Parts: sequence; structure tokens; C-alpha cells
Amino acid sequence: MRFLLQPLLIALLLVGGGQGQAQEAASPAVQTELESQVFDIARQLRCPTCVSESVADSNAGISIEMRREIQTQLQAGASEAEVLAFFQDRYGDWILLEPPRRGIHLFVWWLPGIALAAGAGALAILMIRWTRAARQTTDLEDTDEADLARVRAALQKEEGPA
Amino acid sequence: MSDVGLGPLGNAALYLALAFALWGVLSGVLGSIRKDARLLTSARFAGIATFLAMTAAIAVMEIALLTDDFSVSYVANTSRAASPLWVKIVTLWAALEGSLLLWGWLLSGYWALLSVVAPNTPLRSWALTTMAVVQTFFILVPAVLAPPFETMSPIPLDGPGPNPLLQNHWMMAVHPFLMYLGFVGLTVPFAYAISALISGRPGSEWMLQTRRWTLIGWGFLTAAIISGGWWSYEVLGWGGYWAWDPVENVSFLPWLTATAFIHSVQVQERRHMLKGWNLLLIILTFSLTLLGTFLTRSGVVSSVHAFGDGPVGPAFLAFFLIVMAGSLALVAWRWDAIRDRADLDHPVSREGSFLAGNVLFLAIAFAVLLGTLFPLIVEAVSGDKVTVGAPFFDQATLPLWMIVLLLMGIGPLLPWRRANTQTLSSNLMWMTGAAVAATAVAFALGMREIYPLLTIGLSGWNLASLALLLLGAVVPRMRVGTRSVVQVIANYAFENRRRFGSMIVHFGVIVMALGIMASSAYRIDEQVRIDVGATAPFEDLTFTVKDTFMESTEHRISAGALVDVHRNGNLLTTLRPRINTFFGQSMNVPTPDVLYLPAYDVYLNVAAGITPDSEFVVLRVVRSPLVSWVWIAGFIMAFGTVYALTPTRRAARSTQRTPRGSATA
Amino acid sequence: MTRLIAIVAVTVGLGGLFLFGLLRGSPDRNIESARIDREVLTFDLPLYPRYQGAFGPTLDLAAELGSKPIIVNFWASWCGPCYDEAPHLETAWRAHQDDVLFIGIQTQDRGKRAEGEAFLDRFAITFPNVIDDDSRVSIDYGLFGVPETFFVRSDGTLLYKHTGPVTLDLLEEKIAELTGS
Repeated sequence: MRFLLQPLLIALLLVGGGQGQAQEAASPAVQTELESQVFDIARQLRCPTCVSESVADSNAGISIEMRREIQTQLQAGASEAEVLAFFQDRYGDWILLEPPRRGIHLFVWWLPGIALAAGAGALAILMIRWTRAARQTTDLEDTDEADLARVRAALQKEEGPA
Repeated sequence: MSDVGLGPLGNAALYLALAFALWGVLSGVLGSIRKDARLLTSARFAGIATFLAMTAAIAVMEIALLTDDFSVSYVANTSRAASPLWVKIVTLWAALEGSLLLWGWLLSGYWALLSVVAPNTPLRSWALTTMAVVQTFFILVPAVLAPPFETMSPIPLDGPGPNPLLQNHWMMAVHPFLMYLGFVGLTVPFAYAISALISGRPGSEWMLQTRRWTLIGWGFLTAAIISGGWWSYEVLGWGGYWAWDPVENVSFLPWLTATAFIHSVQVQERRHMLKGWNLLLIILTFSLTLLGTFLTRSGVVSSVHAFGDGPVGPAFLAFFLIVMAGSLALVAWRWDAIRDRADLDHPVSREGSFLAGNVLFLAIAFAVLLGTLFPLIVEAVSGDKVTVGAPFFDQATLPLWMIVLLLMGIGPLLPWRRANTQTLSSNLMWMTGAAVAATAVAFALGMREIYPLLTIGLSGWNLASLALLLLGAVVPRMRVGTRSVVQVIANYAFENRRRFGSMIVHFGVIVMALGIMASSAYRIDEQVRIDVGATAPFEDLTFTVKDTFMESTEHRISAGALVDVHRNGNLLTTLRPRINTFFGQSMNVPTPDVLYLPAYDVYLNVAAGITPDSEFVVLRVVRSPLVSWVWIAGFIMAFGTVYALTPTRRAARSTQRTPRGSATA
Repeated sequence: MTRLIAIVAVTVGLGGLFLFGLLRGSPDRNIESARIDREVLTFDLPLYPRYQGAFGPTLDLAAELGSKPIIVNFWASWCGPCYDEAPHLETAWRAHQDDVLFIGIQTQDRGKRAEGEAFLDRFAITFPNVIDDDSRVSIDYGLFGVPETFFVRSDGTLLYKHTGPVTLDLLEEKIAELTGS
């Protein structure tokens, strides 16, 4: 069945318009002059039929409709938060390109910062320990020289007279 | 003869390679344990033989592709008779089975090269054995789980052709190669690290012997990621180059840890500390490589780049877990030998800056890894579906990038052990002055956004740092001789390849930072509808849609628009954005066309269907300032890496030591 | 010893997570509707002419909600699987038209009246079909693609959303749930 439909699909998609994944619709005669605000909001929403594209970047039929919907709402005076809530109400949290800041999702927002703080803290502790060790070690200069002399001797042995 | 296709021949080559690799493992393990020179020599020959057998397998596959031998399963599933020559060649890595073959071949090349050129040190035997084990896995998977050389019955007359997105651009011939060369290249320092652990020599030998290999692998990975971005930019149609897509992220993770690694090994070289840390870092890097290839080929994450599922996924998962757990167990076993007496004269020193840099790069890697895996974790815990996309990664990592840029400026200026307060304050003064001046100029020109201003300021900071570095190297040398400034700089650059190369790479990073900043913060997106024959203005340009066109070749139909781009009345170029439909595939691939100008790119993509009798076209227009700086930066960084790798005549016998407290090295 | 435990813990943790990932199949498919157990959003869309006799020029969902269960099916003329499921929907409709209202919505198919008529002719669809030209309703229902079918209880809340083509068995099962409850 699918193979019969393939030429039909190709014809429809070519003539009618639309591109990208097979599930998008045509949108031929749409007058679209979109403002940057629409794109800003669209950049925070995920295209429902695409594979990890934002509504701003995608040219799928549903993305074009969603941008149009955003424009309509903005023109009616909705705020960015209200527009995002509109889509969230219908699609769930998945439609937002960043996880909401509540519940289990707080982990992903806070853990990187905590990890950084932990790493910096561990580094600070280690640095304190190491500087203390450095101050306690005596005769650093001599040790270095002795090592260097040994290395020089070994090199001379390896390289020979040349 | 006409009945028997190339499939059996390819299988024979593949199985032969597998046999040689297994022998490499066997002879390597036995030879290393018994310190048997004959077995070890045999193991080295196994490496070379495996490479020859894999080369034969690759050759057979290419011949099968080029002669349209549809009896071979991979050719039947992936290739198409009408495809152009170059498409058939790159079809080798256009799908899962072939790409695994390519990886296996490149790995065998590295293994063979290592077998021949690796110096005869106590570490060599176990290192080669480790390579043999990894190689065996990468041949087992194509040989057993995803066989490309099966014989089709009945033999189809034609195939579907590769994914249209992979036929659209020449980068297909370049990017996968670079990526695999990067991943495979990092196998070598990993193999030496394992060797160091097994043979109980966890000192600096393994690092010093693999310094070049590490830099080569890192260089290829850098080039691969940037070229991947360029490819996305020119092909995918949304005018961007990095989407924080899960597969992009997992290729980025080993780059982050490898960058941390190439800096912290210098601390071990100079100060003989961080032995355990460096071992863990390279194990982490290699494990992330395996994790990345697992996530890419298993369908576990959703991505435009993901391909393949089936038995390959579990195999990669198992290998990843075994390698990671096994390596960590080795580290735990040898922990007492690894713990070294570390001492630090002062945190404000080169060592200190490298350590801070390490923390930052690992924090970024953690954020990226967490964000990439978080949807999976949430689904496992509560069943909810959530998206972690670009806005999260930008917010989580941008502050860290800023600190990295800050550190990149001050780090090279700090001497080892302890900074001279006077020199340091003087340097800081200049750099802060440059940063403030640059920010002030940007502010005066109208820039108000925080991150762009910060980036400009940090670029000033870094440029001043590079200037001070050069001055610090040049001025003392000028006092000694009577040569000109240019000669002195040239001599310095010639004699200090690693140092000068790293300066070039860091300069490239500044260029990239500016390119990313401008193209992200000041990008203009619009969708315009223009009647055929009409003109529409866009910023300081005008677009005139001269006509629509339709063309067809043997393997695709294209429908597009001819758009003249004028600025101030002058015709800049004619862009031809189009939609390609490849025969055998139902996907339409919009192919954008880009006008590269010095200050910005003009990017046109077809946003709705076009037919020969269309009366208007709908175009998506993107104006990205300085986006080409990102690609230029890639070339600069590649050049810097190559430069750092070139040997000097005196490198082997250099006994230069810098006096304490000086600002150069 | 603690190191070994740590290594085992990390390995088992990661392994378990990724095993789950492998087993649960493709992500981003079959995402549950955000409106399960909530009232579905209403629409008032123009009907195809052949159905206007029973309802008037438009079908107002608000008027139909709350009296009997409703099955809302989204389709488009370019959607292959929609052709597969259409006969099943028609069969189920004819069997249960006294108990359940079927409504078809042509969406993401702007301006394609002729193609829509052809689709309805081909399968001799007798349940009412409306036209969602600007795809606003498909956004209201949180569509990820077509076909998708929504099973609405008689109190107007959403019981279940099915992604992809429906089978006759599934229809029968859900109708039993809708009419039984």
C-alpha cells in the first residue's frame, strides 16, 4: 500500500509544497511577514512533528501554523509567558525546549551549578593542601638540580659522543 | 562468475581481519605476560595484517558500490545505480554498516602505524594489545551484528540511494572521516594509559610517548565538529550550525575532556603531579567516545543524526560499560602507585590556571551530558516526556565559556610555580585596559546585550594577552642580538612550535567566540513572500526573484528560484535556493543557497513548494553577521595544531629551562 | 573496597538507564496527551457540504459534548496511514452510531477541499467531517502528526489519545470503555 502511495505522495508534496519529513502539510498561499518577537518565542518551542527542531527553525506545516498562532496572540496583546503557557497547556512540558523550573526538572537546572561549585571547592581544598606540602618540602632547588644531573648523565649515555 | 557477487569476497576479507585481530589480542596478551619477544613481534605483524585485510574489505565494498553490485546487501540497501560517482563513493559511510566498516578500517590504520613506529618501550606491548582488543570489537560488530556483505536473494535491480541529506553537499566526503580520525586517534593515548596501569608504570612515560597522538586526535576532532557545523549550516536550511542536538552533544563531550587533558598533561610533564587525574581523564575521554557512538547508533536519543538500531545498540552499550568499568578497576587496583606527592607553590601560576581550566571544562561537559541524558532519566523515573534543548544548554554553559575565555587570557602569561607580582600586575593592567576599551567602543557603537559585550571585552583581554606573550618573548631576545623585530618573531615561532602553535589556536578561539556571538545575538530571521519578477527589500539589500526553475538529473528533480541580490544598486550574486527530491526517496530536501560576505552571510531557503508555474515564492531569509568567522576560526585552529606538531631540528636535544619568575616558557 | 563499590554502582546505574532507553523504543513517539482526564477544547468548524443537513453549516463541539461519548479523528489527504484506518472508522461508526458520535477533522491540509472530498468519497464516510483550515484545532488538541484519534467520554473529558492509525479492535475496546463507564 505504501509503495503505491509513494508516487502520490511525491507528486502531492512537490506540487502542493512542503518539504522535510513525510508528515508535513503544504502551505502555498500564506502571506507571512513574521516579526522577530514571533521567532523569539518560536525558538523556545519544539516542533511537534520534527526531530529536535524548534518551531522557529522548522519549515514544517505545523510549525508555520504555530508561528501564525503566536503572531495572532501577540497581536491580541498576550505576553510571552501567556503564549508559552498556551502551548504547554495543549502539548505538555515536552513542547518547551527547556525544561520547566519545577519538580524533578530542578535537578537539571541546579546540578551543573552544584557540580561546578563542588569541583571548584575540591580544587580549592587540594590547592591548600598542596601549597602547604610545598612549603614543608625542603631543598627543592637541590632536588631539582640532582634530578637534572641524573637526566643529563642518562641522556649522554644514550646519545653517545655525537 | 556473474552469479557470484562480491559479497563472499568482502566477507572473507572481513573475517580474515577478525582472525588477525584476534591473533593480535592473543599474541599480545601472552607475549606481554611472558615478555616473549617473538610473540610480541607476531602481535605487531598482526596489526599490519589486520590493516591490509580491512583495506581489502573496504576496497571490495567500494568496487561493489561503483559497479552497482546489488547482490551485496549494503549496496542493495543504500546505493542507487543512477547516483553520481562521488555519491557512490561516499555511500560507503552513508549508513550504519558501512560507517562501522570505515571506523574499523581507520582504527586498523592507526594500529598498524603504531605497530610500526611506536618506540620499543616497556609500555608498547600492552598498548598494542589494548588497540587489538578495541579493534576486535570494531570488527566483530560489522562481521557478526551488522554484516554489510550479505548476499541478496533475489538480487534487486536497484536500490533507494543514500539519505538525501547526505547527497546534497561535498562535506559528506570530509566530515565523517575527520570525526572517525578524531575518535580513533584518541584510542592511542587511552591504550597507552591502560598499558601504564597494567604494567605498573603509571608515571609520565605513557603521556610523553603519546603526546603527538593526543594532539593529532584532538585536532581531527576539533576539525570534525566545526566542519559538521558548517555542513549543517549549508544543508539543513534553518540558517544555524549548532542545535545542541543529542548526537552533536555526544561528539562534543570527548572534545571537552580531551581539551582538558591536553592542558593538564602539561602540568604532569612539568611538575610531576596529577598522574591519577590524567589517567582518569583519558579513560573518561575514550569512554565518552564509546558512549557517543552507542547513543548515536541505538535510537535511545532522538536526533536528526541518529541512525540505526537493532543488535548494534546493545553491543556498544556492553562494550562501553566493560571498558569503563574495567579501566576504572585498573585505576583502583593501581591507586597506591598513582598517588603522588603533589605540591603547588602558589595557586596563581600556570599550574593553577590549568587546574582551574580543567574544572571548567569538566563542568561544561557535565552540564552537556546531564542535559542530553535528562529526558531519558526523567522518563525512566516518572514516565514523563520532557525536552532539553538549545535554550537550556545556552543558559547552562555560556557563563562557563566566559570564564574559560578569561582564563585563556591570563593562563599563558603566568609562569610555572609562582607569578612575579610586578609582572603579573603590569600584565593584568594592560589586559584589563584592553578589555574595558573594547567594551566601551562596542557600547558606544550601540551594543547593549550582556553576553556580546562580555565577549567583546574578553576578546580585548585575550588579544592583549597574546600581544604581551609575543612581547615577552621578543623583547629579551632583541636585547641579546641585533636582528629586526620580524626576524626575532620568526625565529621565536620557528623554535617554539608548541608554544607558538598554541598561541595560534587560542587566537582561533577568539575569532570563533566573536563569530558565534555575532551570528547568535544579531541574527535576523524573516520569511518573505515575493512574486516572481518582483523585488523586495531586506535590510540593506534587495531581492529580485527573476524566475523559478526546474531541473532534473538522473537522480533528482529540483525546483527552485533564481534570486538576484543587490546592494546599493550593485548586483552581488544570483542565489539559487531549491528543493531537491531524490528518486527512490520520498523526502524533499530544501537546499539553501548562501552569499558569503565579509561582514555577514545572506542565507536563502525555500519555505514553500515551487512549481514551474508558481506566481510567487516564499523564502526564508537569514542574515547572520560574522558567521564565516566560525569556519575561518576552524582553519586557524587546524593550522595552529599542525604547526604545533611539526618537529624542530633541535626538539629532541632541547635542554632549555626557563628561569623562575619569567613570563615566558 | 569503597572504590570497587563505586565503580559497580556507576556501571549498574548507567547500564540500567541505557537498557531502559533501549527497551522503551523510539523516543518522542506516543507522547501521552497533556489533556488526559481534562475537558477537551471545543471548536466550531465548517462541515463538508454532504454533512450539513444534520448539523447546519458548522459543527459546534460544545453543543455535542456532555451528552454522549465522542471519537475525534484527525486526518489529512496526504497522510498514508489515514487511508489505512478510514474503513475501520467507518465500520465502527456504522456499528455504534447510536451510542457514540464520530467526528473527522481534516487538518494540516490548507485549502485541499477537492482532495478531502475525494478521500470521503473513496471510503464512503458517513460520519460528519469538518475542515480545520488553519490547523488551529490540531494545535488545541496537541497534535504531533496525523492520524491521531481522541476518545472523549460523555462528560467531555479525554479518555485516551491514539497516535497513528487505529485498528478495529482498538476502536471496539475503547468504545466499550466509553459506553460502559
